[in-house]
Amino acid sequence: MLTRPHPRDTAQETFAFDDDVRGAPGVDVDAGGAGRRRPLRAIAISYLVTVFVLVTLNFLLPRALPGDPILSLIDPAAPTRVPIEELRQELEAFYGLDRPLLVQYVDYLGDLARGDLGVSIRYNRPVAELIGERLPWTLLLIVAAMGFATIVGWVAGVHSAWRRGRPVDMGLLTVFLTLRSFPTFFLGSIALFVLGVQLDLFPLAGARSTSELMGPLARAVDIAHHLALPALIMALPFVGGHYHLMRASIVTELGADYLVAGRAKGLGERRLKYGYAARNALLPVVTLTALHLSAAVTTEAIVVETVFGYPGLGRLLVDAVPFRDYPTLQASFLILAFVVVTANLLADLLYAALDPRTRR
Amino acid sequence: MSALRSPLVVVGGAVVVAVAAAAVFAPVVAPYDPTALSGGALEPPSADHLLGTDVIGQDVFSRILWGARSSLLVGGGAAGLAIVVAILVGVLSALAGRRVDVVVMRILDVALALPRLPLLVLVGALVGPSRIALILLIAFVFFPGPARIFRSQALNVRTRGFIEASQGFGGGSLYLLRRHVVPAMGPIVIEVFVALIGRTILFAATLAFLGLADPTEVSWGLMLNQALLETGLYFTPAWTWLVLPAGFAITLVVLGFTFLGVGLEPLLNPRWKRGL
Repeated sequence: MLTRPHPRDTAQETFAFDDDVRGAPGVDVDAGGAGRRRPLRAIAISYLVTVFVLVTLNFLLPRALPGDPILSLIDPAAPTRVPIEELRQELEAFYGLDRPLLVQYVDYLGDLARGDLGVSIRYNRPVAELIGERLPWTLLLIVAAMGFATIVGWVAGVHSAWRRGRPVDMGLLTVFLTLRSFPTFFLGSIALFVLGVQLDLFPLAGARSTSELMGPLARAVDIAHHLALPALIMALPFVGGHYHLMRASIVTELGADYLVAGRAKGLGERRLKYGYAARNALLPVVTLTALHLSAAVTTEAIVVETVFGYPGLGRLLVDAVPFRDYPTLQASFLILAFVVVTANLLADLLYAALDPRTRR
Repeated sequence: MSALRSPLVVVGGAVVVAVAAAAVFAPVVAPYDPTALSGGALEPPSADHLLGTDVIGQDVFSRILWGARSSLLVGGGAAGLAIVVAILVGVLSALAGRRVDVVVMRILDVALALPRLPLLVLVGALVGPSRIALILLIAFVFFPGPARIFRSQALNVRTRGFIEASQGFGGGSLYLLRRHVVPAMGPIVIEVFVALIGRTILFAATLAFLGLADPTEVSWGLMLNQALLETGLYFTPAWTWLVLPAGFAITLVVLGFTFLGVGLEPLLNPRWKRGL
């Protein structure tokens, strides 16, 4: 019997030294140690440790770094101003910053456990509320972008592998390599200018129209209309990642006995391509990549939401910077990071479920 | 050595050399001081101002040339620093024995799992905009990946025949490191470095675009940040000369390093080399 290499191994070898081939440069692509075989217990432990590190960093960073949130509370232009010592002490006592670090840390963990993320300085509302409003939009954006990147990448990958070495293959390879080098904010700005302003096909900002007079169907169409352009731009740099893996994976299937047999009994090319080769290549490699990339895509939300004025979590984070809204800044960092790390965990778990070698 | 003549390497190399030349000769070539108000606001491209002027009347062409400096300085500096740290951590971890190695690898796993962009937005907001801080931070978030690559390379090199032979003839461990391990890793280091510069440049530009760079600096990401802050810009022709040049400049330099990195791979990957 012919033994074929496991597609996962081949895909890994192909990109052994190019860890960003799976995503756009500048974004977390190798986050979470993609593609290594690890037992379930190790996955769980490393997830818990990572979450713990994130939570602790979120506590320690503002306290350890230069820059003083309290001073910025007194006056946004603090460095040029003489701070009022009594006011400062009062504020520190109010926020509990005068107590021992360990006590503060325990308090912080307790607040987190209760879902208390502090009060936004800019909006003067609980940050948890703000995040509750923003998170669904970000999740919608991520799911839409991932779906788009996956489908286009897979189809292009199968097509390219089938005609490897021919002009189509080289063309697609070049296009995706080039696309990866475009900064997302630049692509987004071009899309807004050409498709939004010049051709007037898409709305310029926001996630939905303000009009309340809409039926459910019209509302859904309106939301999809607002979603389309940001999701497309967010997906573009990641199409290449899916494309590369699908192509590499299919190439290893090409010489397989079942394809020769299929061809011998006269099955059509289309059937062989998608019904046989793609199906066999799909499960181990590609499903998993989809999830790993979703972690990368999440960080991209910060950029895309900023360009398109999309009311998600990433924009909440960036908008908090000039206002020195530290509670909002920290909380949106924590939640966004948590989404990324959890997406990685799901990918690892799914991989463990798909690859029989990681069981036991 | 045919990889050196591959179109990817030639094109990538040419782009990188051109950008480096712009960075070095910016003071000579640029027609204006990049921060001087050399014309009216938002003047369209003309003989006086090849790429027009920005919102406050600075010459866009001069700013693009000078922007190459900060781009290469921040991107190259961060990538260089990340590579040095990665070599130290990776090689020492590989040579230090099983126990230390396991601990270091677990720490790197966690460091890899931290999401870079959100982390740097938070830290950048806390520290305030400074070029040195930016270089250090970017280096810090990018070193774990290369460190893992160098570690596995060092482990791999250590077990090769020529090392064992040299050991058999009485070579000490420091001698082995200097004479065999480091030279054997050289090509991988260069390739990882080149590929990393493209990513750090893009990352730095992204941070600048998000408003996390020193606003007095002349950089492409910052130019886009300042241009897109004016939402009305989309409805004026000024969009074409405020957004396109800076955007293409970033794209071009990242593309150059990406092509170079991918093109160098067959030359440096031992598995491919055998076939050449």
